[in-house]
Amino acid sequence: MFEGPVQRVVDELSRLPGIGRKTAQRLAFHLLAVDEVDARRLAEAIVQMREQVRPCRRCFNMTGGEECGICMDPRRDPHIVCVVERPQDIPVVERTQEFRGRYHVLGGAISPINGVGPDQLRFAELKDRVADEQITEIIVATNPTMEGDATAMYLAREFKPLGVRVTRLASGLPVGGDLDYADELTLGRALAGRMEL
Amino acid sequence: MAIRNDQGIVLRSYPFGEADRVVVLLSPNRGKLRTVAKGVRKTTSRFGGRLEPFTHVDLVLYEGKNLDTITQVSIIEGFPRLRADLDRVVAAGSMVEAVDAVAQEDESSLRLFLLLQRGLRALDSGVVGRQLITSFLLKLADVVGVAPALEACAACGRPEELATFSFSSGGVLCQRCRGDRGMKLRPGLTEYLAALERAEFTDLPEAEPSLVSDAMGVARRFVEYHLDRSLSSLAVLG
Ligand SMILES: [Zn+2]
Ligand SMILES: [Zn+2]
Repeated sequence: MFEGPVQRVVDELSRLPGIGRKTAQRLAFHLLAVDEVDARRLAEAIVQMREQVRPCRRCFNMTGGEECGICMDPRRDPHIVCVVERPQDIPVVERTQEFRGRYHVLGGAISPINGVGPDQLRFAELKDRVADEQITEIIVATNPTMEGDATAMYLAREFKPLGVRVTRLASGLPVGGDLDYADELTLGRALAGRMEL
Repeated sequence: MAIRNDQGIVLRSYPFGEADRVVVLLSPNRGKLRTVAKGVRKTTSRFGGRLEPFTHVDLVLYEGKNLDTITQVSIIEGFPRLRADLDRVVAAGSMVEAVDAVAQEDESSLRLFLLLQRGLRALDSGVVGRQLITSFLLKLADVVGVAPALEACAACGRPEELATFSFSSGGVLCQRCRGDRGMKLRPGLTEYLAALERAEFTDLPEAEPSLVSDAMGVARRFVEYHLDRSLSSLAVLG
């Protein structure tokens, strides 16, 4: 236990995911040791982020304005939309530099076991976008888990009848891995999604 | 600390730490198992898709203070066709949710395990529909000892003059015992429920859609009442 203000910072830090008691103490003492301006910059960055960041009104990516940079970028193809579970999945897809369309953040995945149904996710908003933005292809980039699969199947069921092409990221063998280590499920999908050479 | 072997059907899992998951399984020998799969959320995990829900796996476990850690997994039965269909996934979700609600840790549960295995096999072989869920829930109630009385009065055991259905009394009540308990069920409903409880999953009796739907409603409410817990997966997709 430390003096009030120090303990308060330790308590707050240790509530963050993946940060235990020990790490929280180390971080707190680090923040005490650095220049005051550095500590203040961090505090201000957190406050500003909370004040300014909100969901993009079009795709629900995190943004400081009304619409995110991707949605406002005129070079991006508005007719192809990549559907992700969470905003943090967007930079992951962006890093590939392979995708030139826009995004749509569902806010999670359908989870029968946890009682998360389509009504709790942003499918209605996507339906509106398909009509308003003349979307022709939806690329599903949900996780390759039971929940992500259920979400992908639901998207196909809802949007294919509207004439939208619905595709999903191929599931397969990790680059650099050994074939013997692949499980049946992954290998089965890799086989189903094989490519012409 | 020891290494031991076990097997089980994956009921669900949830993120744990940076890249791990707690995987909850139903073992035929030990009831509900809570285990840790290290690094399973990384795309390079050697566990791959083996620990996804509904998979029947063989495990090597390293026993820990609180949770056992999975060191090896191999698939005994993967139910791949079940996974490729949304309705079947939702049905399987309601099965594992109900099983998760009744299974206890450190308690042998062979009958429950076999019931779940048969349910998943039925889904994988193409059986879908509300009848399957209804039948599953009724059999589950039987396994845990709260089967509804459907063909004889829950209070006195008489098979005649069955009048109402009472969730709290445990099934149908006859004219003499009913008092002001229970509600009138539509004609044919208790008979249909009884037939669903007896039937094999691969040979479930058909009925008109509204009866099928009412039967599921009664079975669901009955199980929810006796488990004191709502089954949320049944609400998904209506
Ligand atoms: Zn946007
Ligand atoms: Zn009676």
